[in-house]
Amino acid sequence: MRVGRMVELEADDPARLAELCEKLLANPLIEDYEIESVDGA
Amino acid sequence: MRWGVLQFPGSCDERDALHACSLIGEARLVWHEERDLDGFDAIVVPGGFSYGDYLRAGAIARFSPAMEAVAELAAAGRPVLGICNGFQVLCEADLLPGALLRNESLRFICRQLDLVADGPNPVDIRPESARRRGGVLSIPAKHGEGRYWAPAAMLDAIEANGQVAYRYAPGQNPNGSVHDIAGVTNEAGNVLGLMPHPEHAVDAMTGSTDGLKVFERMAAVAA
Repeated sequence: MRVGRMVELEADDPARLAELCEKLLANPLIEDYEIESVDGA
Repeated sequence: MRWGVLQFPGSCDERDALHACSLIGEARLVWHEERDLDGFDAIVVPGGFSYGDYLRAGAIARFSPAMEAVAELAAAGRPVLGICNGFQVLCEADLLPGALLRNESLRFICRQLDLVADGPNPVDIRPESARRRGGVLSIPAKHGEGRYWAPAAMLDAIEANGQVAYRYAPGQNPNGSVHDIAGVTNEAGNVLGLMPHPEHAVDAMTGSTDGLKVFERMAAVAA
């Protein structure tokens, strides 16, 4: 297990975050991801 | 024969690719913002560090306007050759299976290597002459993230379909790639990704002209 990166985003539409991870922030073939909501979510 | 060689911010091997292509036909650079690639018979996605390799190598470049057009050309059966970073871009764009991970050594490697042409796919873009000679090409490689990897089921399918275009010669795998894979094609065989650099092996002065055969074969497929 290696934490490749941590990305902090202010999202207008948090519902799209999973799609963002699938298409850009992570490569699902080689990476897993977790979405953690903080402060006001 | 008209070649288009993509250029992203951070590309660095596009000039050599342009030179290699110009030895066979006409060639010009294609800035990443261009959307119309209809005038080209074949496309090269060159090496380098597109968009600084931020996030992952090739992750940003896949969203460039030019890559949308490349996907359309690939679907239409025209040859697309991705070299090094271009290979990474094509994998991120899902035009090729698998992914390129950091080298097993965690170090950047730069060396001349022997590649063995492999796979039975009759319409791919491997050099015919290399197959006749037992399929050995002497081509340099230079990369930090060149370890080819695919999940077991995908790897089995790639092998079964004959999509492994090149393997590193026995004992020369420089990065820990699974099954010694140096290059793969898509299922149709018209899209090839190759980690080593054929565009750097087109002049005898640099020690090998084997790389030119990759471009010549692409030209034959496009004709």
